[in-house]
Amino acid sequence: MPLLTRDIVGGLVAGGASCRMDADVVPKFKAGDKVVTRNINPASHTRLPRYVRGKRGTITHDHGIFAFPDTSADSGTHSDPQHVYSVRFEGEELWGKDANANACLYIDMFDSYLEPAES
Amino acid sequence: MAQDHDHRHDHHHNAPPSDTAMRVKALETLLSEKGLVDSSAIDAVIELYETKIGPRNGAAVVARAWCDPDYKARLLKNGSEAIAELGFQGVQGEDMLVVENTDSVHNIVVCTLCSCYPWPTLGLPPVWYKSAPYRSKVVRDPRGVLEEFGVELPESVEIRVWDSNAELRYLVLPQRPAGTDEMTEDQLAELVTRDSMIGTGLVEAPTS
Repeated sequence: MPLLTRDIVGGLVAGGASCRMDADVVPKFKAGDKVVTRNINPASHTRLPRYVRGKRGTITHDHGIFAFPDTSADSGTHSDPQHVYSVRFEGEELWGKDANANACLYIDMFDSYLEPAES
Repeated sequence: MAQDHDHRHDHHHNAPPSDTAMRVKALETLLSEKGLVDSSAIDAVIELYETKIGPRNGAAVVARAWCDPDYKARLLKNGSEAIAELGFQGVQGEDMLVVENTDSVHNIVVCTLCSCYPWPTLGLPPVWYKSAPYRSKVVRDPRGVLEEFGVELPESVEIRVWDSNAELRYLVLPQRPAGTDEMTEDQLAELVTRDSMIGTGLVEAPTS
């Protein structure tokens, strides 16, 4: 019997598969905190794009607790639950003097990608 | 791929299939031969995204938000729940964040790592959204990309690029165009384009 059959398609698509986890994890940051992204370069899976590594930004929102893809990709199960935040980076921080005027970037960041920035 | 080949479209049968088509065929054959998927299930998925799930869903959400301030407040506070009120939910829309365009802020969405996109409200992403040129340029030069789409915004408008690199999926709530006060919710939904909900377009008032 195949795993994916016609009769379960509708339910699967409508149900979805959030990586949100019901876990008790204390957030390391809160909205308004200044952070700096870690400059890591793993050979394995990560959702931390190169262009935001080692950059200074500000937490704008805490979205709650999710499985950490960097370890889940390896283990094959939802693991290492941690908070995901929206982090705002100013254009000039990412692109220097070539940045567009009055432009910024928001991105989803896990606790493991972030360190507190000295203000 | 559907087993029943549709011959209504116009193409040359002697041209070699594209690399993507070959790769999809190889993957489907492997999955079928290993007994993991039933090919009629693949047809069901395609049918769903061709006929039921697409940007008209997102347009209904936007039009409702324009007409109902309470709904708009719920939508901006908890996107997934408010979108589900209209019956849209599921794969790639589990955790939605709706971002609002105003006179001073314009939002634009990308996934720099792959092609993450809010399927329940927008359907499957257009080819350009998945292309390396869009993904690499829009984070560095969003105003340049907007110009390529025919959108020019004054420097006084802050451009916010949202990289949906991980858990959240984003829907842009575009601005309601002026001169549409008399229009019904259904008429307004007709004006809302896919690109306006990605942020590469604006919603225009009807010309006539």
